[in-house]
Amino acid sequence: MASQTACVATTTPFGHEACRRLRIKDEHLARVLEGHDYLLFDGAMGTQLQERGLAAGEIPELLCLTNPAEITQIHQAYVEAGSEVVTTNTFGANRTKLGDAASVEQIFKAAIDCARASGARYVAADIGPTGALLQPMGTLSFDDAYDLFAEQVRAATQAGADLFIIETMADLAEAKAALLAVKENSDLPAFVTMTFDEDGRTFLGTTPEVAAVTLSALGASVLGINCSLGPADVAPLISRMIAWSSCPVMAQANAGLPHVHEGKTYYSIGPKEYCTAVQTMLDAGVTVVGGCCGTSPAFIAGENLLLRGRLAQGRELHKHFTVTSAQQLCAISMGQVGVIGERINPTGKKRLKEALRSGNHDYVMGEAISQTSAGAQILDVNAGLPEIDERATLVRLTQELQGVTTLPLQIDSSDPLAIEAAVRAYPGKPIINSCNGKQEVLDAVLPIAKHYGCAIVGLTLDEEGIPQTAEGRLAIAKKIVAQAESIGIPRQDIVIDCLAMAASTDQRAPRAILDGIRLVKQELPGVRTVLGVSNISFGLPFRPLVNATFLAAAFSAGLDLAIVNPMNERLMDVVNSWRVLSGEDESAQEYVAAYATRKDGPPGNTAQAPTFDLSTNEGIAAALASMASSLQSISSTMTGGAAPVAGNATAEKPKDAGAADNSPEGQVRDLVLAGRKGPVPDAVRVILADADSSHDAMYVINQVLIPALDEVGARFEKGTFFLPQLMASAEAAKAGFGVLREESSGQDVPSKGKIALATVKGDIHDIGKNIVRMLLENYGYDVIDLGRDVDPQVFTDVVVDQHIELAGLSALMTTTVPAMAETIDLLHDQAPWCKVIVGGAVLNPEYAQMVGADYYAKDANESARIAGEVLG
Amino acid sequence: MLAGLRVARETYSISSVDRQEVLRYLGYHGQALSGELDGRIDAVVASCLKIAKPRATIAAFPVQSVSPNEVILDGCTLRLTGHDIADHLKDATQVVLFAATLGMDVDRELRRLSLTDALEQVVFDSAATALVERAADAANAHIRAYAAGIGAFTSWRFSPGYGDLPLSIQGDFLRTIDATRQLGITLTPSNLMVPTKSVTAVVGIHPNPQPGLESSCSICSLAEFCTIRATGRTCRG
Repeated sequence: MASQTACVATTTPFGHEACRRLRIKDEHLARVLEGHDYLLFDGAMGTQLQERGLAAGEIPELLCLTNPAEITQIHQAYVEAGSEVVTTNTFGANRTKLGDAASVEQIFKAAIDCARASGARYVAADIGPTGALLQPMGTLSFDDAYDLFAEQVRAATQAGADLFIIETMADLAEAKAALLAVKENSDLPAFVTMTFDEDGRTFLGTTPEVAAVTLSALGASVLGINCSLGPADVAPLISRMIAWSSCPVMAQANAGLPHVHEGKTYYSIGPKEYCTAVQTMLDAGVTVVGGCCGTSPAFIAGENLLLRGRLAQGRELHKHFTVTSAQQLCAISMGQVGVIGERINPTGKKRLKEALRSGNHDYVMGEAISQTSAGAQILDVNAGLPEIDERATLVRLTQELQGVTTLPLQIDSSDPLAIEAAVRAYPGKPIINSCNGKQEVLDAVLPIAKHYGCAIVGLTLDEEGIPQTAEGRLAIAKKIVAQAESIGIPRQDIVIDCLAMAASTDQRAPRAILDGIRLVKQELPGVRTVLGVSNISFGLPFRPLVNATFLAAAFSAGLDLAIVNPMNERLMDVVNSWRVLSGEDESAQEYVAAYATRKDGPPGNTAQAPTFDLSTNEGIAAALASMASSLQSISSTMTGGAAPVAGNATAEKPKDAGAADNSPEGQVRDLVLAGRKGPVPDAVRVILADADSSHDAMYVINQVLIPALDEVGARFEKGTFFLPQLMASAEAAKAGFGVLREESSGQDVPSKGKIALATVKGDIHDIGKNIVRMLLENYGYDVIDLGRDVDPQVFTDVVVDQHIELAGLSALMTTTVPAMAETIDLLHDQAPWCKVIVGGAVLNPEYAQMVGADYYAKDANESARIAGEVLG
Repeated sequence: MLAGLRVARETYSISSVDRQEVLRYLGYHGQALSGELDGRIDAVVASCLKIAKPRATIAAFPVQSVSPNEVILDGCTLRLTGHDIADHLKDATQVVLFAATLGMDVDRELRRLSLTDALEQVVFDSAATALVERAADAANAHIRAYAAGIGAFTSWRFSPGYGDLPLSIQGDFLRTIDATRQLGITLTPSNLMVPTKSVTAVVGIHPNPQPGLESSCSICSLAEFCTIRATGRTCRG
C-alpha cells in the first residue's frame, strides 16, 4: 500500500528527541511519527503458526531457522492484505528463553530475512517481555533485563530492521528497560505497547495514563495497547492513553477470546466487528493499527479499507505538569497547586541520619507512609550524607519506597551520578531535584532529565550565587529553560525554584522571592515553580506560622508546587484553603468534607519527629517499626551492656506474676500476654510515673517486658500460644519499648549486638525471616535486615563491613538451599568470626549441618534463644 | 477424541475462605484467642478477599502415550515426567493443565505488610494460601463439569513438585497454557512462580470414576463452584 497522500498540519506536531538522531527509513514513516500519516501493522503471528500446527509450548522463534519459507508466507499474506509493517517472529527471542537452541543473533538475522522476503515496506523487530519478573517483586535486576534487551536490539539493528516494536509489556519497569536498550544501542524508532486487563490496569497495576506519560517522556516514537482484550474493550483504554501521550498512539487488539471446538481454536470476534471498533479508535485519534492474537489477514484487509482515503487529524497535546510512579499519575494543571513531602532528607534530622547510616530503613518507610496519608502528592528523596554511599542508598531507597507508597518520587541529589543511577531504574517519570544556572551543572543534569524522561527542578542560582533581585532570578530561570528546551525537555516539565531565603537576615528577601515567582510565571508561560518554604522562617521563633503565611503569599504569586512537611497541619490548612480560593477544589467539596467539624484552635504542629498518623493501621505499624529500630539502645544503656535475654532473665520474675495481679506491672504483663498493643504505652507510663517507687526504664525492661516476653516464648514452646499470638505479644512489648525510648530522650548508646538477616538468593519468601526479625528486635538486638533474594557476596560484605557476629539465613524452597550453602561458605571464608543460624520450611537439623550452619532454629522463638547464647 | 477445553482466562468471584483453614496454616490448634486478635485476623482475611483477583487459565490435551515414567500429550511439547504422574494418569484419555493465581496485587500487599506489619503479613499470607486453593478448586470444578459433559471422570489435581513430577517442568508448563500472557505468571530462575500465590496443576480425564475423590457433594471442596449440580446431576452420575 502506498503511503497516505494526506497532508494535514497537526495543530501540535510531535517534537522528537533532540539528543538522539533517529534513522527514519522514509518520508512516510517520518510523517507517521509526526502524527500526519496512518500506518498499518500486521496481525497475529502465533495464531497463524498454531493453525499451521505449531504445538503449544514450542519455541516459535526457532521456525525462522527451520521453516523460513513458512514464516515468510505468513508475512506475505499480511502484506497482500495491506500491512505496511510486518513484525518479525522474535517475540520471545531472548537469551534466557532460547537457551541453547539458537543464538539471539541467529534468530534475529533469520527472522528479519523472512520478514524482508515478504516485500513489506517496513520490518519491525519484535521484542516481547523477558518472561521473568523484575525486582523488587521478582528476582530479575533492571540491569540484567536491560542486557537481555540490548542484545536483541543490537542483533536486530545489525540485521537491518527498520524499527522496533516492544510489545505486550505488563511491567512498566521492563518496558522502560527495553526502551532504554533501543535508545542506547540503536538509532531506530521504538514503538511500545503495553497490555491491559479488563479493569484498565496491567498485571502490575499500571494504568493507560501512567504508561502514556512515562513512555512519552522516555522517548517512545509511538505508544499504545496490544493483546489481552478485544477491540471494544481496548477502545476506552486507548482514549485514556491518547489524552496523556505526546506521541502517536497505536492499537493492536485481540480478536476477542479464544474457545475450542473439536480441537480447533476459534476467536469470538470476526473482521467486521473488529473493524467497527477500530473505526472508533481511529476517530479517537489512533493513527497506527494492526492486530494481535486471533487476527488474520482478513482483519488487516478490513483495516486497510478503513484507512483508505482517511486523513490523520492533528490533536491537542496536554499541557499538564506530570510525574508518575508505576501505579499513579500526579498531574497538576495550570492554576492547581501540589504538595511535595520534604521529610526524607537527612539535613538536620537526627533519626533519619541514623537510619541511613545503619541501613535499617524502617524509619524512612514510616516517614513515607505518614506523608502519603497526610496528603503529599510527591515525595522528595534525599540520601545526601557525607559518610554513606549516596548513590547506592538513593537507589535502594527509591526501590524500597515503592513497596510502601504509590506516590511518584522526586530524586533529590547534587551528584549527577547518584541521580542517574536512581532515575534509570525508576519505573515511572520522576522529578529531578535539581539543576541550577551553573553551566557545569546544566551540562551534567539536563541530559539525564531528557534521556530518562524526567521533570526537572531548576534552582535560580549560578556561578555568582543567588541573585538578590527578582529580575536576577528570572534571568537565571530563562537560561535554564532555554537550555532545557534546546535539548527537547518540554516546558511543562521544567520547574523553577526561586529559592526561599531567611527573612530574619534580609527582610527584602521575601518580596524578591514572591516577585521572582510572579515574573517567572509571566515571562516564561507554561513553566512551573516550586519552593522549599521553610527557609523563610530561619532564625525566627514559632516558624510554622511564618511558613504558613509565606506559603499563602507564594500561592498567590503563582507558586505551583510547595515542598513542605505535609504532617504540619498549619501548612496543609493553607494548601487546603488555598484550593478553595483558587477554584481548584470545586464547590469546596474536599474542604467541606475535611473541615466541616473543625474547631478553631491551635493547629497541631506535628513537625517534631517522630510523626505518624496513628489513625491508620499503617501509621501505627510504622510507628512501632521505627520504635523497634532503636529500642535496643535503651535496653543496653539501662543494663550497662549486660541486658538479660531469653533464658537468663527468667530468674527475675515479674513482681507478683499471679493471675489476679492488678499492679501496673501486672497490667503491662497481662497486656503483653494478651497481645494488646493499644493500651500498653499508657500502662508503662503509669509505672514510670509512680513517684514512690521511682522506677526507671531499666526496671520496666528487666522486670516487666523481658519476663513477659519470656513467658510468651514459653507458652509458644508449649503450644498454648500459636504464631499470631506470639507476634501480637511482640508488638505489644514493642509499644512498651517505644514509650521507654521517648523517656530516655534518644541517648546514643552502643548496641547490644548486631544480627544480619536475609532470605537467600533465588528465594522470595520472606515471612519467616520477618517474624524472626520482629522477635530479635524485641529482645534488644540491632537487626540488619538485608531483605529477600540476597546475593551471597552482598550479604557477606555487610557482615564483614559491620563485623557482625551472628547471621540468620532463611530458605523456603529446596531449590534455594544451595544458595544458602554458598552464602555460608563465603561467610566462613571471609567472616570466620560470624556464627550462622539457618531456618525455613525445607530445613531440619541434619540439613542445617550439611549446609554448614552453626545453628538450626525451628522457629522464631528458637532464634531468640540462640541469639542469647551467642551474643549474651 | 479431540480435546475440547480451552479457557484463556476466567475470573472467579470468591467471597469467603475457610477461617479454620487459615488458622491451621498459622499453626492453630484450639488455643484461646483474644477478641482483639480475632478481629484483626478477620479484618486481614477480608482485605485479602478484597485485594485478590482469583483467576485461572485452562487447556486440555489428548494423551498420546503413557509409559511407566512419562506422559506424552498431543499438540504440546510438555512432557510430564516421573513415575507418580504416569501412575496417576495411567488410563487417562486427556490431561487438563491449569494455572490459577491471585494476581500481583496480593504480592504487592504482602510486600507492603512486610515493611509495615509482620503479624498482618503472616495472616495475609495464610489467607492468600487458602484463597489460591479455592481458586484452584474453582478451576477444577470447571474441569470436572467438562469431564461430566463428555461422560468422563476426573482424577484429583497433581502439581509440579509433587511426588517425582519435577518443578523444572514449570517453564514448559506455563508456556504450554500461555499463563504469562493470560495471567501474568512469571518464573524465577529457581522455578518459583511470581505472583507467589499461584498454583499449577494437572487433572486427568478418565473413562471410569477415580479413587480418592469425594463420594458426596456435601464434603466436596469443589461444591461451591460446581456447575453440574445446577443441572440436578452429580459428577458421579
